[in-house]
Amino acid sequence: MNRRRLLRAVGVAAIGFSLGACKIVATPKKGVASNDDGGDGGFDPQKMVHAIWDAKVIPYLRAKAGRFAEVAELARANPDEAGKKYGYRAKEGSEPWTLVVKIEGRIVSAETNSRAATISVDNNGDGKIAAIVQIGPAMRGTALRDALDFVSFNDFRNQIDYAQFGKAFNQYVDHAFLSALPRDSLVGRNVTALGAYTVEAGDQPPLVTPAELTLGPPP
Amino acid sequence: MTLKQLLIGSALAGFMAFGAANAASAADLIAIITPSHDNPFFKAEAEGAEAKAKALGYETLVLVHDDDANKQSQLIDTAIARGAKAIILDNAGADATVAAVKKAKDANIPSFLIDREINASGVAVAQIVSNNYQGAQLGAQEFVKLMGEKGNYVELVGKESDTNAGIRSKGYHDVIGEYPDLKSVAKQSANWSQTEAYSKMETILQANPNIKGVISGNDTMAMGAIAALAAANRKDVIVVGFDGSNDVRDSILSGGIKATVLQPAYQQAQVAVEQADSYIKSKKAPAQEKQLMDCVLINGANAGKLETFALRK
Repeated sequence: MNRRRLLRAVGVAAIGFSLGACKIVATPKKGVASNDDGGDGGFDPQKMVHAIWDAKVIPYLRAKAGRFAEVAELARANPDEAGKKYGYRAKEGSEPWTLVVKIEGRIVSAETNSRAATISVDNNGDGKIAAIVQIGPAMRGTALRDALDFVSFNDFRNQIDYAQFGKAFNQYVDHAFLSALPRDSLVGRNVTALGAYTVEAGDQPPLVTPAELTLGPPP
Repeated sequence: MTLKQLLIGSALAGFMAFGAANAASAADLIAIITPSHDNPFFKAEAEGAEAKAKALGYETLVLVHDDDANKQSQLIDTAIARGAKAIILDNAGADATVAAVKKAKDANIPSFLIDREINASGVAVAQIVSNNYQGAQLGAQEFVKLMGEKGNYVELVGKESDTNAGIRSKGYHDVIGEYPDLKSVAKQSANWSQTEAYSKMETILQANPNIKGVISGNDTMAMGAIAALAAANRKDVIVVGFDGSNDVRDSILSGGIKATVLQPAYQQAQVAVEQADSYIKSKKAPAQEKQLMDCVLINGANAGKLETFALRK
């Protein structure tokens, strides 16, 4: 178990590294970081995410994460307590809690026709969807950014920069491992993910943005 | 100095006839400065701030700058001359406003910004802004879903001097841009105006009859667009707005506009006044200057709960 985690960590680190080298070429082509709204010269959110991913983001998320079943139950009973224990939110303003979870289970359905593709995961064998995990390329929200207690809106020039930084996390995981996932025959496979979701009102299963994800073999 | 301020204060009070405030004997004054109340969003904001200020025992001075930075600068002068204890401001430009707020600060009057942020920190005591980008993403995601991830669409953009026009447009594009089958056929500013949106929409529709959706930077422009579409008998076109006004709520409930995004305008203004009150009484500034308030997607499922920029529980 420990060895497997270690291996996976090394794997993710290696992917991060090799991408770090080739992304510098890829970035200008996509133009996300710098040249589409002008006047923001040195700001490069993708580079910023690369710089902190292995050293800060992954260790923080691993340390903060709770098992999905426990986190979700506590979040239902007492969102603030769940937030303090397993998550983060900015102290001022009205942002909801973002919680960090480890989820392990079976894929019971997959939506891969949409570019905002997702897999639905049953974590306890009851056949019900416990959480929906985003697998990109289009992804909703900024849960990975919002889960981090060392990131503050106050450190950014404005909402656009802050938002680009949030989006860069989604792009990072898309490039690092999500884009390599198969898009068919996903149902029935086991999946393990470390990720974050933002608490929303209503009874919908949480929408988890993964920071790490491992697929089991086809059934 | 006190005498001079007093004199200017009473002279201005008489001259400008703002309420019954008599500078000599009045309670502490809070100035509330926003864009024109023609847009119900800014009206709700001003009313939210005014109600909270009065509840806390303040006199209020409610002014509009009409998105004119020069006029805003004069209004800040007025607030300074009247000896306001704090200024609640929805500003007239992210760059142009920095000097005006600095001027108030130099006169020891703290500013609490709402709705729109400025491109400087440490000048205002607080900047409590709607997370326009997050809201735009919610609106765009709903738009993408309604469009079935494909088709031609039009974007109506707000007033260029307003930071939020750019932030929303960027938020829309960061989502829509991920769907290559969604094609932008026209992107035009209608300056937040309903009538301008109506005529722009008419023209766009003539040049591009083959459109499937319109995403608008605010609700007043969405109202203009849906009216033009209805007049052209194009009720099939999907329209999505931003703000959460009662007009758009009614349109959603009657099957017109499909969705909008609520900014908690009323609550935001009240939070700003609470923070101003705490600062006036104890010099205690909020822990963080820049504070974000999340927006909420409004569609057929929850529109019935929307009233004056707030969602009933």
